[in-house]
Amino acid sequence: MLKQILPAISVAATIAGAPVLAQDTETLRVGMSGGYFPFTFVRQDELQGFEVDVMNAVGEEAGLEIEFETMSFSGLIGALEAERIDTIANQITITPEREAKFIFTQPYVVDGAQVVTREGNSEIEGIEDLSGKTVAVNLGSNFEQLLRDLPNADEIDIRTYESNIEQDTALGRVDAFVMDRVSSAQVIAESPLPLELAGAPFSEIRNALPFRSDEAGQAMRDRVDAALTSLQEDGTLTEISHKWFDSDITKSAE
Amino acid sequence: MRALDLDYMLGLVPVILGYVPLTLIMAGAGMVLALILGSLLAVERVFKVPVLDWLVMLFISFFRGTPLLVQLFLFYYGLPQVLSFLTQINGVTAAIMGLTLHFSAYMAESIRAAIAGVDRSQWEAAQSIGMTQGQMMRRIVLPQATRIAAPTLVNYFIDMIKGTSLAFTLGVTEMMGAAQKEAAGSFLYFEAFLVVAIIYWIIVEILNQGQQRLEIWLNKGYVR
Repeated sequence: MLKQILPAISVAATIAGAPVLAQDTETLRVGMSGGYFPFTFVRQDELQGFEVDVMNAVGEEAGLEIEFETMSFSGLIGALEAERIDTIANQITITPEREAKFIFTQPYVVDGAQVVTREGNSEIEGIEDLSGKTVAVNLGSNFEQLLRDLPNADEIDIRTYESNIEQDTALGRVDAFVMDRVSSAQVIAESPLPLELAGAPFSEIRNALPFRSDEAGQAMRDRVDAALTSLQEDGTLTEISHKWFDSDITKSAE
Repeated sequence: MRALDLDYMLGLVPVILGYVPLTLIMAGAGMVLALILGSLLAVERVFKVPVLDWLVMLFISFFRGTPLLVQLFLFYYGLPQVLSFLTQINGVTAAIMGLTLHFSAYMAESIRAAIAGVDRSQWEAAQSIGMTQGQMMRRIVLPQATRIAAPTLVNYFIDMIKGTSLAFTLGVTEMMGAAQKEAAGSFLYFEAFLVVAIIYWIIVEILNQGQQRLEIWLNKGYVR
């Protein structure tokens, strides 16, 4: 908490006319929601998860100090654009729209989009069954776009959420939610919520770290990308993946 | 129906309590700044300085007319696109700025009403003994107006404390943000949000007690 107050004071000093402190080039400010189990979540005030381990490993490999900033998911892209953070580690899927705006590292997670329903709901077994149903999805997530691009999108009542889509599906307020396959399976296994996977994943998604496409962003991207390559080669990424998922999600399943 | 996970709730209490100081710092700083700004705006509204009065009315109209969340997003995500130096402002500072501007507009109105509530004879008496307008406001009118405005101002402070829960959308992990993240990791939504609700409630109840004492103290001169 002190970490949040001290910058406030130093910023106040900056505004009051003190010289602007030079941005430490050795620091990588990583934005994440802290609310996407098991990639980034908090228990007893401790930020943890797959993304945290990956970024710490990247920091060690590339000789960068990693600074985590948590904020609500829909604010992350804005914060990256506004230069408040340098990258986002929150399972950001590479999409053409995002590629037009940002530059990405290589993908470090290969995953699928998954429909999840309340336990015992046998009406939904795949995306075709979503017609006439209400489906929850995280606001600003790639899954929102995936849903809107479906051939039967017009018939689906898509509800965008800031958080807690799992709970609203478990409560029966919506018929299903769409998220990535890996964390869906993990939520079902580890949470007390009555949920189940509905059918097979319907789209392969590749997740990577976005950077601003300016000169500094480019340099940082290349540095982080090189670190990801060595972590992929020496098996560190596989190891981190097994720790959280009991399987390797960092490579395509073939 | 499942039973409440009491152990989880007890474990969460110290975690959420750790964020109470940040909430109080944001609300406290916002309150002090909003009181100063609100008083200045109110005094202006009483004397209706040409041109300035029009600007003050515009300010009050805007900050009362738009939701706090919209204002916070405007400052934190919107304005930096136009004025790049604003990226230097972090979430805590932006939250304090937002709370200050938003609540000073409300306070200006209630302080203005309180000034108007001070009997006209008090003004005339002050003028008759040759006080300047500044002296009159400082020594005679504002102290009496404070007493009238105090209950509504404490109400705004309570609102401000609860308003800090919006700071999570600016990347500031305060009490609500911490609860939200814990709930996302444990999926025990009811427990997490109940703990944070009870802690907010206790803080506001303590303030209520303070308000009662403040009113007794401010009314000392009026007890018959």
